[in-house]
Amino acid sequence: MMSSVDLSVLSAAVLACLMVGTLHLRLNLWMYGATTMCIALATALTAQTHAEINLICVALLIAVLKAAGIPLFLLWTSEKLNVHRDVGAMIPPPLAMHLSIGLLALSFILTRGLPAPEMAATGWYGAAAGISLLFTGLVVMLTRRLAIGQILGFLVIENGIYVFALTQTLGMPLLVEMGVLLDMLVGVMFSGLLVFRIQKSFEHIDVAQLTSLKE
Amino acid sequence: MEFFASLCAFPVIGAALSAGNFRIEIVRRIVIAAICLQAISAAILCSPVLLESVPILRFTADFAVDRIGAYFLMLTNFVAACSLSHAPTFFRNEGLFGGKVIPPQHERLFYASALLFVLAMNFVFVADNLGLLWVSIEATTLFSAGLVYFSRDKHALEATWKYLMVCSVGIAFALLGTILIFASSQHGAISGGSLNVRELLGCASHLEPKLLELGYIFCLLGYGTKAGIFPLHTWLPDAHSEAPAPASAMLSGALLNCALFAIWRVTELVRLTEHHGICESVPVVWGALTALAAGLLLVHQYGIKRLWAYSSIENVGIMLVAIGLGSPLLFFLQALNHSVAKVALFLLSGNIIQYYKTKDLSQIRGLLQVSPTGGLLFAIGAAAVTGMPPFGAFIAEWLILAKSADATQGIAVGILLVALAVCFVAVSIHVSRILWGAPKHEISQLGGFSKYLIPSLLCICTIVLGLTALPFLLVKPI
Repeated sequence: MMSSVDLSVLSAAVLACLMVGTLHLRLNLWMYGATTMCIALATALTAQTHAEINLICVALLIAVLKAAGIPLFLLWTSEKLNVHRDVGAMIPPPLAMHLSIGLLALSFILTRGLPAPEMAATGWYGAAAGISLLFTGLVVMLTRRLAIGQILGFLVIENGIYVFALTQTLGMPLLVEMGVLLDMLVGVMFSGLLVFRIQKSFEHIDVAQLTSLKE
Repeated sequence: MEFFASLCAFPVIGAALSAGNFRIEIVRRIVIAAICLQAISAAILCSPVLLESVPILRFTADFAVDRIGAYFLMLTNFVAACSLSHAPTFFRNEGLFGGKVIPPQHERLFYASALLFVLAMNFVFVADNLGLLWVSIEATTLFSAGLVYFSRDKHALEATWKYLMVCSVGIAFALLGTILIFASSQHGAISGGSLNVRELLGCASHLEPKLLELGYIFCLLGYGTKAGIFPLHTWLPDAHSEAPAPASAMLSGALLNCALFAIWRVTELVRLTEHHGICESVPVVWGALTALAAGLLLVHQYGIKRLWAYSSIENVGIMLVAIGLGSPLLFFLQALNHSVAKVALFLLSGNIIQYYKTKDLSQIRGLLQVSPTGGLLFAIGAAAVTGMPPFGAFIAEWLILAKSADATQGIAVGILLVALAVCFVAVSIHVSRILWGAPKHEISQLGGFSKYLIPSLLCICTIVLGLTALPFLLVKPI
């Protein structure tokens, strides 16, 4: 039986797969926002079923900072730098999307063997969604050339790990969760600023071309 | 409260003051004072563990320090104090002889992020919670990225971007590993689960084995990226080479130890379970292979600081073997000897780059002729870092080899011996080319002895560590 938590994390995983299918930055960022909103919803639903006050705070923080704040910041960055489309690398986006859907199926097979979580009453759908998001993030990192696309890939990976923690362990202790969120925000801000410097020095933000240090 | 005050006060105040709009000469003094006071304050904080027979000192529910943590805390603060005390001289000379004009604002930001970086590293050793350990390690990445970015040119940007991305993604896997360990504790061991290291150690045998093993592998992969284990080391030579010399010294002498310490924390946990095979064979073999790969990559190097970066990877491999053998004492001994010698070498390399105005190894010749003191110190440092007797690293590496042979890790011993030999030969060839011969162009303006003060102190330390039984007396059995 699939619970509403499972449903929202699975829709997050599917949305992320769809995101791989387009190189349009604005659309990518909106879809990332929607994915993260689904995850915030899943957190709130978990909080409700388990009567956990801490998780409500986490859900609110995710909705405000990760689902709205980060996409808006990256959107502002891309507007400022006047970049709207990624160039794409290695595999074309439609193929990459199908690859990530294939990986979604694979993550169902992989997580089947995991021991069922003691705390959360959900099945292994949650774990599968988490691992699938992780794979999707890796696919995004591999198929994007622009710095913003790389940051996006990292954010999707992070979402996947969060979903895994939420469904398998009912979320980490609040202090740790806050620390992780803070680190991530600072990381995104710092890399966002770096993107500006890269644009200024190289006159592009195609990080695949940064190879002068290779031996 | 007292604990947070004594650990955070000096770096935070120092960082705030150095970012403020004071004259640069005053900022330089503030930084040296702050880092030295931090080292003293951390030593006082840990003194019950270091001097008396208290095995563990608990500060709060999530913060505690055990003996190995206290030793590493001392070492980290010592390395930071040496590097940052040398930094003002380095930056002054960079303007005077290196031909680079450094805006005071950049230097202020460097000091501020360096002090916060040291603070984050301090928290790695006192975090008694695997989650907070992860948070501290990620914080070290963020603050040290500011140090790598220092020169703000194209190469520095590329190195910083690579460092930030590779390490963040790597560390993300360590977070997954941490979550898996947390999940493993929820299967009947602790109600509600725990990330607290002591609680986990207390009920290690009740942890869910499958989740724990998976968690261990992910942590090894994640923290291993940060430690520069082959083949996840790609960020390391770039970051070490592009950062200014005092920052490279801290990255190599302190940061790599932090990442390895995180690996030790999880290894220590898995060792207590029935499935300890995984935490013995995997790190030992992987560590030996890392050392060998670093040795082979050392042969063809074109940058002076890249040379030492690859030699750091070799030492990371050796330390990983010590971790796999389950010996915190050997792990610390190797880390101590490596850090002391490597910090001296990075600081000296910074001076050499200022003389020759290039990082290119093929352009650096005749150091003994240019500066006999510098050449002598450089030779001592290089000999110490390759593990030549009578320096401390020789004892540590000998003991690690002996212990691996005892543990019937025959293949690892073989690989490690080859790796040590290759590294020794490669480093000797590069260093002898630097020392002898004639400089390719006229070198003038060398400045006073002040730039050799810290490196010579460190060189004396390496000799003392090797010639006396000091490390054994200092390091009580852990």
